[in-house]
Amino acid sequence: MDQIDKIDQIDQIGGKMSDYQYEEKEDFSGKKVKVLGPTYEEGKPDERGDWRSKLGSREDALRYIRTALRYWYSKEWYGSEKRKQEA
Amino acid sequence: MPEEKLKSIDKATVELIDKAERENISTVFSRADELKPCPIGVEESCCKICSMGPCRLPRPKKGEGKVRVGVCGATIETIVARNFARKVAAGAAAHSDHAREVVQTFIKTARGEAQGFTIKDEIKLLAVALDFGIAVEGREIGDIARELGEKALNEFGRQEGELVNIGKAPLKRQELWRKLGVTPRGVDREIVEIMHRTHMGVDQDYRHLLQQASRAALADGWGGSMISTDLQDIMFGTPVPVLGSINLGVLKEDHVNVVVHGHEPLLPELLVVASRDPEIRRLAEKTGAKGINLAGMCCSANEILMRHGIPCAGNFLQQELALVTGAVELMTVDVQCEMQGLQSVAECFHTRLITTSDRAMIEGATHIEFHPEDGLDTAKKILKMAIENYPNRRHAVYIPDARQDMVVGFSHETINYLLGGLFRASYRPLNDNIMNGRIRGVAGVVGCNNVRTPHDSGHIAMIKELIKNDVIVLTTGCAAMACGKEGLLTPEAAKLYGGSGLAEVCEAVGIPPVLHLGSCVDNSRILMAATAMVKEGGLGDDISDLPAAGAAPEWMSEKAISIGQYFVASGVYTVFGTTWPTAGSEKVTRHLFEEYEELYKGMWAFEPDPVQAAQLMIRHIDKKRKALGIDKARDRVLFDMAMRRALD
Repeated sequence: MDQIDKIDQIDQIGGKMSDYQYEEKEDFSGKKVKVLGPTYEEGKPDERGDWRSKLGSREDALRYIRTALRYWYSKEWYGSEKRKQEA
Repeated sequence: MPEEKLKSIDKATVELIDKAERENISTVFSRADELKPCPIGVEESCCKICSMGPCRLPRPKKGEGKVRVGVCGATIETIVARNFARKVAAGAAAHSDHAREVVQTFIKTARGEAQGFTIKDEIKLLAVALDFGIAVEGREIGDIARELGEKALNEFGRQEGELVNIGKAPLKRQELWRKLGVTPRGVDREIVEIMHRTHMGVDQDYRHLLQQASRAALADGWGGSMISTDLQDIMFGTPVPVLGSINLGVLKEDHVNVVVHGHEPLLPELLVVASRDPEIRRLAEKTGAKGINLAGMCCSANEILMRHGIPCAGNFLQQELALVTGAVELMTVDVQCEMQGLQSVAECFHTRLITTSDRAMIEGATHIEFHPEDGLDTAKKILKMAIENYPNRRHAVYIPDARQDMVVGFSHETINYLLGGLFRASYRPLNDNIMNGRIRGVAGVVGCNNVRTPHDSGHIAMIKELIKNDVIVLTTGCAAMACGKEGLLTPEAAKLYGGSGLAEVCEAVGIPPVLHLGSCVDNSRILMAATAMVKEGGLGDDISDLPAAGAAPEWMSEKAISIGQYFVASGVYTVFGTTWPTAGSEKVTRHLFEEYEELYKGMWAFEPDPVQAAQLMIRHIDKKRKALGIDKARDRVLFDMAMRRALD
């Protein structure tokens, strides 16, 4: 069963995929495949994307700083800076 | 008949230039037509630091064997390097004095002495406190903030050691700075030392002079500018994505229009608060206006745009034109990039020009000084003046129908979040997409407008060329505003103008191909984003290893030279347009363009054609990709245990 048949089958079952838009594109072998199109909501946002307000307590904030901003605040983060061979 | 020179690529700007000409109003555009640049000054071949001169040292004529020197014997190399270093000092001083004002207000806020200000971003406060080695566990916010403010203020007067923020740079870069003797000790000290060393008869070796220029510039980028950005974020909030709009069409005919111009976001923040005050709104309505319309100009605009979505009326070359609409009741100005010509344009209309900083007055303008202790009262007073001035409109109002939506607010923290979410925030997806070639590299395109280049043309031509070639662009200042007007700061722009790889990544993440990172002090955010890419891993050990480049195609101010110098000294290949301020000396130019690559692994370049300049940047990006071994697509190899053991 190819990808298009699978999507058609899901649609027939009554899944929500039929609400989405699909585009036909070529895969690496040149075969036509159906891929999911844009899924963003139409219109303009009326609020700021204030992700920082999701961090409530002091503990959450410190945990976030030590993990998300690990480049500067984690004692266990090395990245490329301490690898054995130079770039 | 000679063809008329294009003055701007922005239709609204051209319409108002024409209006100003018809009404015989002098603007920067008409003055530039009347006043040609000095051919000696443009090459910086003139020395006027003592009264034995000024000594002009134009390039020798063909066949002229004699080496020209100044009365004191100063060579052209010394003169050009001194002039360049002084530009760096002035630029670094501007950003850092802005920072000092912010730190002083921050301390008053922490003490509860600043009216209308609070600590809004506790997360950033904790992070910056950790940078400064301040204990945060179990302490009150105000207590942490007080200690942070005092320690931040010490960075200006520090005489020995290293600036705290130097520790945020990649380790290899820190080592290089120490080796080259350019690690900044204190913000003020490095600037003062330039002024001393460029005094008559002191430092007369161009390489040595330019070494100090690097030190002062680094004190700006990793010092003054970074301190400004960080403390402003703590007081006003770290920027997050917000929808805004830009261009002269944001002014409203039936509203009281107040334009906030300059750089320091202190008073502008309070004007935002005051403009939402019900009493102020009622007063505005009483005069027959539908309300108060606050709009920004230059970097003050960037600050309140990124944090509140306040519309932006335009960038540097549009400041006088906003008044030419006849719709502006009042314009506030604080420091930097405010043309004295504003006052004479204001006098042609009913507009009141208000200077608000104790460091900057304009003859003829009204001075209402901002002090943090009664800042909100001052903001209300200014808005009341604007409201009272609304009935005094004496000209027909003409506001061009030009207004463009844009998404702004991409702090380096927000980029980190957008790439991985709250629990997996990371620069890894960016690095991966650079390694797999969907994104070719990263460019920082920043800086001013310059009336000697068609307004916005350099920014737009360069940035379109870059994104077409899959280079993601980080932008600030007037460059960011040019992008906003052109529609490049919307996610849709990725598909319209971006290469297929870049467009694919932008679509997946939901970001524009050009990211607005803020005002000119916020170039420090670009340094932090570049550092995060290095520390994430896979793209080398230093900023100079990244497939990245910087540019200021329409630069005009000394601040831009300081910014360029700190980017170069941080390892970034940086291309400037318009004119080049060491053109008078081949040796100095060669030092900055070639020898710097050996020293700093980053160097300057000059190319006035923005598309050619973009191609130079792309060539540099490709050179770095090759050095990293990511210039060709390679099959992924899954290592089995035997292969892993062989690695050891």
